[in-house]
Amino acid sequence: MKTRNDCREWRELLGAYALGHLEGDERAGLEAHLEGCGACREELAALAPVARMLPHADPARFELAPEPPPELGRRIASTIEGEKAAAKQRRRRRTLGGFAFGGAAAAVAAVLILFVFGGGDPAGQPEQQVKFAGLPEGIAIDATLQPHAYGTEIHMYVHGVPSGTLCRVWLRGPNGVSYPAGTFRYRWGDDSDAVLSSALDISRTRQLVVDTGKRTFVAPVNPPGPTATIRQEEST
Amino acid sequence: MIQLGTSTRGALSRERDVREAYAAHSGELYGFAVRSLGDAGLAEEAVQETFVRAWRAGDRFDPKIGSLRTWLFAILRNVVIDLGRARAVRPAVAEGGIEPSVEPLDEALLAWQVEEAMRRLGEDHRRVLVETYYRGRPYAEVAEELGVPEGTVKSRVYYGLRALRVVLEEMGYED
Repeated sequence: MKTRNDCREWRELLGAYALGHLEGDERAGLEAHLEGCGACREELAALAPVARMLPHADPARFELAPEPPPELGRRIASTIEGEKAAAKQRRRRRTLGGFAFGGAAAAVAAVLILFVFGGGDPAGQPEQQVKFAGLPEGIAIDATLQPHAYGTEIHMYVHGVPSGTLCRVWLRGPNGVSYPAGTFRYRWGDDSDAVLSSALDISRTRQLVVDTGKRTFVAPVNPPGPTATIRQEEST
Repeated sequence: MIQLGTSTRGALSRERDVREAYAAHSGELYGFAVRSLGDAGLAEEAVQETFVRAWRAGDRFDPKIGSLRTWLFAILRNVVIDLGRARAVRPAVAEGGIEPSVEPLDEALLAWQVEEAMRRLGEDHRRVLVETYYRGRPYAEVAEELGVPEGTVKSRVYYGLRALRVVLEEMGYED
């Protein structure tokens, strides 16, 4: 029989005790020791959560340690490289579109001055970046509005509200009437944009409204003109 | 509450960062994806989609909220849900003897953590925990089989649980 002073030997029984495997005198002796030994009680408290986790595991899977195939890393690198190249090409097309437009204007001996707001596309359709000012610390919201024949497409990015928050979105016109754009849930870890749409034309949109349940955030939408505002001056 | 990971890193907006993140975390992510989806091909798809999404949103990664590992697992969790929904319309096919998990995803994550921690234990510790706890064999029988005193089996169970706790903490577990 172990003595009360032999702490190390008692302690080495704590694993079996935490798993519910100690019986009889050994169990009674350890419990008596625990009453008088704070260090062993602390050690038991540290082991207990681990013991509670054991039932969740499937021992048949202990030997299975699947490794990703060697080509997976290369495939991911190649996908990212492809996306980067495509984005670069899109930017180049936008730039070339702007130059071609300016060149055509020069041909009629006029002076064109372009003021570009936001990122326009070659067709002159303005895409609008919407910024929410004065947001509480830790919350970020931004959006991009894209014009369509049916109304306005909205790419929403929300970050910092509790995961699972239901977000409702509207566009508000000049007369204060709101047009619903849809709902989405913010999920922590999912950083993709929510894509929504509203029937309100972008040219008539004055505000973007996001309701997160507890709070409502409103951002102004600039009165849109064409992407490029063109002022023509007569040459003298 | 299960927390994954403690290390913090910068954004994933550069390809070099993605490569480093892949080298550090792809094994675990793939292991969990296989555990959850039960299909090696789908698991590859899930891990690929996870890193591509992480790269796209690299500038949004905020180490103050959680570690890169935690963030990648959170993305993977969403990818697995998406793939699970897509797979719901077609029959699951198990590969390599790995059965698809039927548990809810958070339970699968907890299970995977314990299984991964058990894999990282020394053979002596894992063996006694498997024999006494999972197979429910008497300590005396296990001791005889291993050729050691029964007290040694008990002390190995103790040191095995301690080691398991250390491994889980290294993996980011907090109770």
